Parts: sequence; C-alpha cells; structure tokens
Amino acid sequence: MIARAGLRGRDGAFWFLFILPALAVYAAFMAAPVIDSLRMSFFSGSGYAVDNFVGFDNYVKLFTDPETSTRFLKAFTNNWEFFGITMLVQNTFGLAFALILSAKGFKGKGFFRTIIFVPVTLSVLVTGYIWKLILNPQWGELNILLTKAGLGSLALPWLGDTRFALPAITLVSAWQWVGLPTMMFLAGLERIPEELFEAAQIDGAGGWLTFSKIKLPLLLPVIGIVTVLTFVGNFNAFDVVYAMEGANGPPAYATDLMGTFFYRTGIAGQHPVGIPDMGLGAAVAAVTFAVLFAGVLLANRLMNKDEAERGPAMDGGRA
Amino acid sequence: MKNGKFLKTVALVLALTAVLAISAPAQAKVQLTMGSWRADDVTQMTKLLAAFTQKYPNISVKFDPTNPPDYNAALNLQLQSGIGPDLMYARSYDTGVQIFKQGYFADVTDLPGLKKVYSDLARAPWADENGRSFAVPFCAVSHGVYYNVDLFKKLGLSVPQTWEDFLATCKKIQAAGVTPVANGLADQWDINEVVMMNILPNFIGGPQGRLDYEAGKTKFNDAKMVAAFQAMKDLAAFCPKGFEALTYNDSNALFVNQKAAMYFDGSWTMASFTDMKFDWSVFAPPPPKGMKGYVTFHPDSGIAMNPKTKYPTECKTLLQWLYSDEAAAIVSNNIPTGFFTIASNAAKITDAHANAFLQMSKSHPTDVRFVWPRLMSGKPSGYNLLNDGTIAVMTGKMSPQQAADALQNGLAQWYVPSK
Repeated sequence: MIARAGLRGRDGAFWFLFILPALAVYAAFMAAPVIDSLRMSFFSGSGYAVDNFVGFDNYVKLFTDPETSTRFLKAFTNNWEFFGITMLVQNTFGLAFALILSAKGFKGKGFFRTIIFVPVTLSVLVTGYIWKLILNPQWGELNILLTKAGLGSLALPWLGDTRFALPAITLVSAWQWVGLPTMMFLAGLERIPEELFEAAQIDGAGGWLTFSKIKLPLLLPVIGIVTVLTFVGNFNAFDVVYAMEGANGPPAYATDLMGTFFYRTGIAGQHPVGIPDMGLGAAVAAVTFAVLFAGVLLANRLMNKDEAERGPAMDGGRA
Repeated sequence: MKNGKFLKTVALVLALTAVLAISAPAQAKVQLTMGSWRADDVTQMTKLLAAFTQKYPNISVKFDPTNPPDYNAALNLQLQSGIGPDLMYARSYDTGVQIFKQGYFADVTDLPGLKKVYSDLARAPWADENGRSFAVPFCAVSHGVYYNVDLFKKLGLSVPQTWEDFLATCKKIQAAGVTPVANGLADQWDINEVVMMNILPNFIGGPQGRLDYEAGKTKFNDAKMVAAFQAMKDLAAFCPKGFEALTYNDSNALFVNQKAAMYFDGSWTMASFTDMKFDWSVFAPPPPKGMKGYVTFHPDSGIAMNPKTKYPTECKTLLQWLYSDEAAAIVSNNIPTGFFTIASNAAKITDAHANAFLQMSKSHPTDVRFVWPRLMSGKPSGYNLLNDGTIAVMTGKMSPQQAADALQNGLAQWYVPSK
C-alpha cells in the first residue's frame, strides 16, 4: 500500500524517466545542432572559427548581394521544379503501382512489390553513378538504343543540357524512390474495408467510379503524408545532384538545389580556393528550415481541416 | 667493506644513468607528419621520405594525405584546433597567403640556402606581398596538348604551329571520322584549368599581358580576351558528340581508346598513360598567327611548417634537405610523374615522356594559370567568371564578347584595379 502510494506520488516524474533517453538523444543530435546552426547564421568568420557577430548581415547578403542572391533564387526555383516533377511522376506512378498491386486476382504481387522497392534500398551515389553511365552521350545505353531505333536526333547530352538536366535528375530520383509511395498507398488501399467495394459493386459502380469515389477519397490522408515526405525529402536533397552532376549544379547552375548551394557555401567552399563561409551557409540552412517548417505546417493545417470536415466517414464509418 | 661496496654500486648506477642520459636524446626517434592533398602520391612520397630517413635515421616522416576536395577545409579545421600536422602541403598564391596571415604557417624565409636555390620568381607563389616565404616551393605542373602520334602519322599530319593550323588539323581529323579533341564540359574545372587557361597566355601575351590586366591597364573585355573566348567557341565544334555532358574521366578514356586524336590536359595525367597501345606525345598549345607561344607552368604545391610543431629543428632539417644539392636527383625522380621541381638545382628526369613535357616549358617562355595570382580572393571569383563564360560560349549561350564583358563586370565588383 505504502509503496503504491509512493509510486503514485511520484507519478509526474516517473513517466518522464521513460522518455528521457529518447529526449536526450533528440536534444543532443537534432535540436541542439539546429539551434546552434541558427545561432551561427548571425556570425561570420574564416574557415571554422565562426565567432564574429554580424547581426542579420548574412541574411541581407543572401537576399541582396547580386552573386549570392542570384544563385540562391535559382536553387530555390529549381527545388520547386524538382518537387513538382517528383509529385507528378513519382507519386502518380506510386499510386498507379499500388492500384495494380492491390487489384484482385493480380498475380506476382510479391515479386513486383520487391522489384519496385529494391532501388529504395540502394545508395543514391550508386544509382546516380549507374544512371550517369546510362545517360552518357558517348557510351550510354539510352543514346545507343535511341540511335539504333533510328531516333539519333534525340540522342542528346541529357545531363549537359540546361533544358533537360534537372528533369533527367528528377526522373532518376523518382525511379529510385517510387517504391516508398507505392508501399504507403498499398498499405492505405489494403486498409479500406472490403464491404465498401462489395456495396459499390452491388450498386453497379465500375472501376473508375470505385477509384474516384471510394479509393481516392479514403487515400487522401496517405496522399497528404506522401506529399509532406516528398516535400521534405526534395528540399533536403543533395546527394542525387552531387552524384550525377557535381556540387556546382551544372550545367550553368541548372541543377543547383538548396542542398548543393548550401554545401558549396557553408561546407566545401568554392573550388579551387575551398574556404567555406559557414555563417552564410548557416543562413541558407535557416531559410531552408523555414521553408520546410512553413510547408509542413501548411500541409498539417490542410490535412486536419480535411479530416475535420469529413469526420467519421473517412474511416468507412468505423471510427 | 660494506660501505665500499655500497659506494661502488652507487657510482655504477650514477655512471649508467649518465650514459643513458647522454644517449637518450641521440637515440630518440622523432616522427613528423606531413599533410597533403595528393592522395594519389602515397607510394612515391613514401619512397622520397624514406630516402630522407636514410640520411637522418632519427627522423621519420609520415605522409598523411586527405581527399583533395576536402584538404583546404580539413587543414583549416586542424590548424585552428591545434592538431595540424608538423609539415603540410601549401597551396600557391591567395589560398596559401590567407593561412599564413592567420599565423598557421611558419615563416621560412630565412632558411639557409632557400634564396639561392629558388629565385624570387620561384618563391613568389608561396610568399606574401612583403616577400616573406611561408613554404618551400615543391612542385609545379605543366599543361599541353596530348596527341596520338600513330594517328597523326596515319593521317599525314604534323604538329600544328599556329592556332589557325591547329583548327585546320582538327578539320582534317574530323573528316577522317575521328573526334579531334577529347575534352568535355561536365566536370567544369577541366575546361577552365586545362583548356582555357592552357591557351590563354598565347592570346594575351604571356605574363606581361596578364600583369597588364591585373594592374588595370587592360580591361578584361579587350580584344585579346574576346579572341581567347572565340578560340574556345571554335574549339567546341571539334569536341566529342555530347561533350556538354562528358566528364574529365570520359575525355581521358576517349583519348586512351583512340576515339579522340588530341587531349588538352595537365602533365599530371601522364601518370595514367603508362600502358598505352599507341605512341603518344605532347605539344605546346599553338599561338594565333603572329603571336608568341607560351606554356602554362603552374606552381602547384609548396611545403610549409606548422609554427606550433614540437619538432621545429627536425622540420627545418627536412625542408632544407628537400632543396639540397645532394637530394636534387632523389627528389626530381621520386616526385610523382608529371610534377616538376622548381629548384634551380633540379636534376634531369629519367622518364622520357615527363622529360618531353618539361622540355616544352624550357623551350617556351612560361606563365601561370591566369586567375591564380590575383583574381580569386573576391566574389564573384575570376575563376568562376572565366569558367562560366567559357562554358556559355562553347554551348552557344553567350557570344565571346558577352563572356568577356561578364568577366570585366564581375571583377569590377570587387577587384579595385579593374574598376
């Protein structure tokens, strides 16, 4: 009795002990670096000794210095294009694959599910390098195939053309990651209760009607999550451009993203001098963080509103 | 008796201790570390440093290179946190000067014999504006045009003497169904450093021409600069199909596989041309008709000393040995193929191809890479402006005049003499 009372008395502190390890790890490895990076954006200094307080100078430079702001704006708009194409291609294909895989009577589901998911497990540096070889204008498979098919005029230097370089890289990224939305959509589809389809069938609904009136509305929360994850992933992207084009985002900064711009500014410095401006880099990181934060907040708001309006119907009346 | 034994023992112990005390410093071995960005050169440098240890058995040096793109940042971090190597490679010009000014390179101006072995000109890339040296000059790299001798013979071609000849030669090679020039744009730095800055001294009149730009006597968009950009535009027509997306390694492979007849590159590349299936050689980039020809012989690496090293004497011993007469032959033949010493006492190189490359810079007047001495310390960097302009001209996005204007306008933003 006494022990139980004692336990109850310390209740407040007791539950806290359970989250303490996770909180400590989160604070040390996530929160602290983010806060320190925000702090650093108000400082300048050569190399790694960033100790000279400059107020908002780094932000002023980022938005007004002709050289820096041009690169920043270009990287920012490129990132939106990257996001747009990814949404359009990767997530549409993801949905299509999920619909096919979940279709009744579809044979080889496990096999295709694995095939679609395998690229996700590979390193971006590896897939980037492989695709760079495939797209090589001299000995790449793609242009050899195009030439053999009599379409030699279409055998372009894909990664060296300002018009095609970013779309090409985006498609490679979409090819690699399409497995993730596929799995999420598939899980969402499999959660839809069977009765709904049976009822729809009895009411005479065809494939399209079932999709647009049952599957799509019930997948909306998943679509929301996929959108948020794509958004966060795309605005943090760096590796695919680094692997396929290099840190400068060539040709002519056509594939420069926030990630590569940040890397050049704050970490590597510009070839061949290579001395980074860490304060300015931290400012780039802070702006990226703000964009992501605003985006996720907005998406959350929209999703919650959506859910509130729909209410219980969302869950097929189960909730 | 007992006392006597005790005294004897004490005397013996004391004597032994004295012997130990005297011999200890003589036997103590010192290991120095040497930082570098030349991760490819571990074998040769280890050999070279072993030769030093043979002469000075108490001092060994560990060659400890970093991945090239990370070197500057890593070195800065090490030096600032007090864990820098005892000795380290120092970049030439501004990049090195900046580290010197922060006090992370020791002043080595007064090392005995330094000024005798290296002329003022040879020391300049590793000295500040007051002529204080922060590193012992070590290696330079040269630039030229590699060519397939067998193919030239087969097509009845000779080494072009003027830029106009060169373009005509390209045309003939193209007509024979071979790509004339292997270079591409994907990696960016190579078109700038080994092509544009390789031919540039020929178009602007060598070092004097460069100094006139640096002093503000010539604008960066004058006719000579436009002509150089025009040359790059002309060259684009003879680059491989899809050169816009070909990397430095692709270009190398095209030349090695005999798909391209010529290849603009630096001397360091010949180390990768060891088992070639054809005879190759190298020629100096030909100047436009009526102009003098130059070779870009670029100071690449010096060796600096950490002012906080625990072993300053040993470090100085090594630095002096590196340019001593007795080490000249060892150094010349053990620094990696394609790198050349700048010392006036440099020995003859035994490798025939390397020697051919070196002869080129002896038979021609030389200059350094155009933007290195003065134009890289501000934003936008002259390096980037030249690189972006060259690529824009070669892909038809800018005219040569526009590229030269962009260079002038960009530099005018910070480089005072050009305003």
